[in-house]
Amino acid sequence: MSIIKRKRTRELLLIGFFLAPSLIIFILYRIIPLIWNGILSFEFWSPYKPAEFAGLYHYQEMLFYDDVFWEVLLNTVIFMLSSPLGILLALGIALLVNAPIRGRNLYRTIVFMSYPVMTVAVGIIWQWLYNEKVGLINYILMSLGFIDQGIPFLESFNLALPCVIVASIWQVVGFYMIVLLTGLQNIPPSLYESAAIDGANSWQRFKRITLPLIRPSIFICIVIGIINSFTNFDLVFVMTQGGPGHATDLLITYIYDEAFKLSKFDYAAALTVVNFVFFLGLALLANKLSGGEAGAVETGD
Amino acid sequence: MHRYPHWPFHVTLSTICALMLVPFIWVLKTSLTGENIFTYPPSVLPQDPHLFYYVDVWYTIPFFRYLVNSFLVSLIVVVANIVFNAMAGYALTREFIGKKAIIILFLSCMMIPFQVTIIPAYLITKELGLLNTHLGMALPVMSTIVCIFVFKASFDAVPRSLIDAARIDGLPDWKIIFKVMVPLSQSAIATNIILAFIWSWNNFLWPLVIIRDQHMQTLPLGLSRFLTVVEDTTGALYAFCIMVLIPGLVIFLLAQRQFIAGLTTGAAKG
Repeated sequence: MSIIKRKRTRELLLIGFFLAPSLIIFILYRIIPLIWNGILSFEFWSPYKPAEFAGLYHYQEMLFYDDVFWEVLLNTVIFMLSSPLGILLALGIALLVNAPIRGRNLYRTIVFMSYPVMTVAVGIIWQWLYNEKVGLINYILMSLGFIDQGIPFLESFNLALPCVIVASIWQVVGFYMIVLLTGLQNIPPSLYESAAIDGANSWQRFKRITLPLIRPSIFICIVIGIINSFTNFDLVFVMTQGGPGHATDLLITYIYDEAFKLSKFDYAAALTVVNFVFFLGLALLANKLSGGEAGAVETGD
Repeated sequence: MHRYPHWPFHVTLSTICALMLVPFIWVLKTSLTGENIFTYPPSVLPQDPHLFYYVDVWYTIPFFRYLVNSFLVSLIVVVANIVFNAMAGYALTREFIGKKAIIILFLSCMMIPFQVTIIPAYLITKELGLLNTHLGMALPVMSTIVCIFVFKASFDAVPRSLIDAARIDGLPDWKIIFKVMVPLSQSAIATNIILAFIWSWNNFLWPLVIIRDQHMQTLPLGLSRFLTVVEDTTGALYAFCIMVLIPGLVIFLLAQRQFIAGLTTGAAKG
């Protein structure tokens, strides 16, 4: 009896030892920061000043006196609402590369290739494509005779955000495509065969079979789009630095500026809380709408 | 299956692929010639390509230093990810009290994007004395939840009878792991290596926050700095871009399958 018990204790120790490194990292860099950040948002604090209780001061400041906050929030929402465009485009591409045509693997690779590359480099490349004087886009528009003078895309208050969004869609569309393609490939071909025998045309088959069955994949894409709009720091930082004015600033770039350029850690912490709550609410909502499967990881239990 | 013509597919897909490739091709071309767009006649292929700008980048900025930093951080991240994720993944294949709680903890951590933790993460790293260090850059990403579950799924797939047979033969636990489980999990290991490498190689925000020392900068930091320092050395900037893109692209092209398998296991990075 005691041998079994000792063996059981040893096994538990082993499991604990195996779990420890990962647990320590996630507690140290996810759980504690989340709690600390929450506390910090209710304090007056800067690196060389002792903390003082601030109550809701930062939140009041943010909601009632900080116009920039509302501007960057709106930008974040616009950024997020643009993701269905990318998903729709990706769905089209996924349907095309799912067809039994020659060279489809090559097409898939090329479309997906922009996703794993360094976003900083992508930002630099796109900044240059948009350049007023030597940019490819202005060059093409001028050659075709649409415009006489280069358009300063990224310096324009109206055009800068859509331009950053286009670059972002260019980078992420391949990822959406892969997710949707996985969904498409999981549809049993027999469904289409029997539908065809029953005389359903291709639009009916798409609407009645394809769309309902890839719904989970579509919701995964929506969640990715939401995450992207709350975390896409690199592209904005490199392409526009949030400018002109705050026209392309997202919540995440605004938080970075407030914390690490202006050392307003306490205020940035309050912004982060809003960012996180907003993100979590939307992600959970998307998850609920999809039937609780979006973004689910196969845990095997 | 040949009820419809294929050419409309090829035309549409070729157009899309061209749009995806043009930025890459244009950067490559400029990095090899430095010619700007108004050279006459405009050409798609580079005229008189040369490697001047690549040499320029190598010598005018501490490119090699950035490369070593990037490589070291990625190495730490990749090794740590394989070891830690495999350990946690193995632990989760066993039954123990509190297993459900641990899984819930992991899954909820997945819902916390790293970006919303940067301020305290910076303060913690400062307390640990790891600002401006390779370890500091690597530490927060030394384990990835998605990859833990990739390992768990892979270990779960090892036939129970094989493990029992090894146990009857008297192999201790650690030997079972290294002689039976690991060799059967090569695909999970490959997925881990690729995801960890690409995420760490491209990581920008975190190094930007904790690195002040110029000698500790990684490639993305060096690249974004180079952008603000030089305005007119177009060719060199794009040569820099190409030099930074190539390692990630090569690894992705070599191991596309594992990369995609890893990405589609969980929803997204974060």
